[in-house]
Amino acid sequence: MKEVFTIYVKELREVLRDRRTLMLMIVLPTVFMPLLFHIMFSFINKQEKKASEEVIKTALINGEILPELGELFKRSEGFEVVTGFDEAKLTQALKTEEIKLGLVLPKDGADMVTGNYQLEIKAYYDNAAASSKVIRRAQKVIDAYNEESQKDRLITLGVTSALQRKAVIEPVTLVKTGIADKREIIGEQAGGLLPYFFIIFCFVGALYPAIDITAGEKERGTLETLLLTPVPRSYLVVGKFLVVFTSGITSAVLCLASMGAWIHFKAGGLSDEIGLIISSITPGDLFLVAFMLVPLAAIFAALLLTISVYAKNFKEAQSYVTPLNFVIILPAVLAMLPGVELNWGWAMVPVTNIALAIKELVKGTVDYTMLGVIFVSTSLFAGIAFAFCVSWFKREQVLFRN
Amino acid sequence: MLEVKGLSKTFPVPKAKKGTPVKEKDPREEGRLFHAVRDLNFICNQGEILGLLGVNGAGKTTTLRMLATAITPSSGTALLDGVDVVANPLEVRKRIGFLSGSTGVYNRLTPREMVAYYGRLHGMSERLIEERMEKVFTLLDMKSFLEKRCDNLSTGMKQKVSIARTLIHDPQVLFFDEPTSGLDVLSSRTIVDFIRRCRDDGKTVIFSTHFMSEVERLCDRVVVIHHGCTGFDGSVAALREKTGQQNLEESFLTLIGGAN
Repeated sequence: MKEVFTIYVKELREVLRDRRTLMLMIVLPTVFMPLLFHIMFSFINKQEKKASEEVIKTALINGEILPELGELFKRSEGFEVVTGFDEAKLTQALKTEEIKLGLVLPKDGADMVTGNYQLEIKAYYDNAAASSKVIRRAQKVIDAYNEESQKDRLITLGVTSALQRKAVIEPVTLVKTGIADKREIIGEQAGGLLPYFFIIFCFVGALYPAIDITAGEKERGTLETLLLTPVPRSYLVVGKFLVVFTSGITSAVLCLASMGAWIHFKAGGLSDEIGLIISSITPGDLFLVAFMLVPLAAIFAALLLTISVYAKNFKEAQSYVTPLNFVIILPAVLAMLPGVELNWGWAMVPVTNIALAIKELVKGTVDYTMLGVIFVSTSLFAGIAFAFCVSWFKREQVLFRN
Repeated sequence: MLEVKGLSKTFPVPKAKKGTPVKEKDPREEGRLFHAVRDLNFICNQGEILGLLGVNGAGKTTTLRMLATAITPSSGTALLDGVDVVANPLEVRKRIGFLSGSTGVYNRLTPREMVAYYGRLHGMSERLIEERMEKVFTLLDMKSFLEKRCDNLSTGMKQKVSIARTLIHDPQVLFFDEPTSGLDVLSSRTIVDFIRRCRDDGKTVIFSTHFMSEVERLCDRVVVIHHGCTGFDGSVAALREKTGQQNLEESFLTLIGGAN
């Protein structure tokens, strides 16, 4: 078994001297997550800030029916009331962003105001802009107006006590106590995406080393001499397998660690709720994520070796491996779909089960028994893939394909 | 010493695709089977160079690969200093060195790292590796580029690295598979000198080539492989005598023409 170590050290040394591999295996995963998080959060923050500080230019039509409302909008911070528009031209003005909001009071509304009937005000806005807070902010002003006039009208009707007024408006009220915490809700959304990245890096990090030490050796004519050393072929495979496995897991762990570092140093500074939730992901959770990626990296290593040792040269190996990308991305994406949840069935599906387990870890709702089941089932698959890889490596038709 | 006894190798023939033009059938093809090498017998004594001659596809490489235990014979076997290549491949590999014209080097390792790697794979101790490396590197005059990456070496230097790699475990039997193909005069010369030195050191050398000039200069014995069978086995002089041609190239052509 000393030979396995000899092979491992030599192959690893070669891999680490290859700039292309280093980029994919070390630099990219280290930089990617912090960069992604940084861009994502600075963008979100900027948008939020912009949406809540932006002055909303509001076209008020038929405002004379309820002058107090117009006054209230004028007094409210962040609103600029303009006149001289008519309803037919509102859509166009909104599209050109001449205005951000159009409020149209009914023409014949004066009678309704005097008769104390409900007044319907049409609000025109661009609902395609997802980050827009126009309606929410307009609603706040309307709410303030409503509260004031409700109070006045109820007092006129003889409801003088504040508590009674509350009961008249809402005789029964729901006090919501959601049992899912915020982390779970956001984890459900973000938790689907994170494992996808970890899995991809686990694969990409192992890709070039796998091709290099199999098809690459064939191409350079060194494989044949290696096969003629007094080392059993199974030892050769184990040595090579360990190198590819190391590359994949290194890449995934670097990705995780850089994300962990980002959370540790940056997430606390986020004012946002999301920041708070992200910082509740502990190093322990990340460690478990890494642990779950171990058998997956073994599967990838065995698959990559099996495919690339069959190829005659580097180029051929690359084209053989490309379809494998999809084979891995598909089950990882599956875990992002709504309705795909961790249960006994999904726990048996390789790749998807790991993605789901990581999602649960991010959500903070992990069932440790399930985690164990997934680890064992994935390890089993890894064992099968590895056994196949070893027997594949002993075939003359594979090693000498010309 | 090498004794080859009834060595044969059969490959399955891949199914011909529809639409591919029908090629002239090789006489070795038999239904779905291709008999690359059939019933090969010859002997090479210690301190002898045996030249394996044959046209492209005659079965030279397949034969050498079987003798060097890279692939397993379908039937027959060979004894290498008494050790059976089929029954005991690992033991055989300890005694052989293999160099082919297409052998490369590890571009991202230095010559020293590469040669030491093969020493370790042959189960040698670190001290023994150091000793052997010192000897081999001096012999091949390699000291000036031992710490450079193989990537940056010239073809001739790489050739020397390959030779050093072949020699590190002091093999008793050496196989050369068209070792000079694609090399310039200078690099070829290095190889030819090296092969001769191996013989002088009392090793058994099996050597396949296309170049008749090399055969004339080096070989004590010649085995001609034609369509996977032994077409001739004997000395260079005997080959000339048998074919009645003085020129070795003519002799060879007469022989394989006659065998057709």
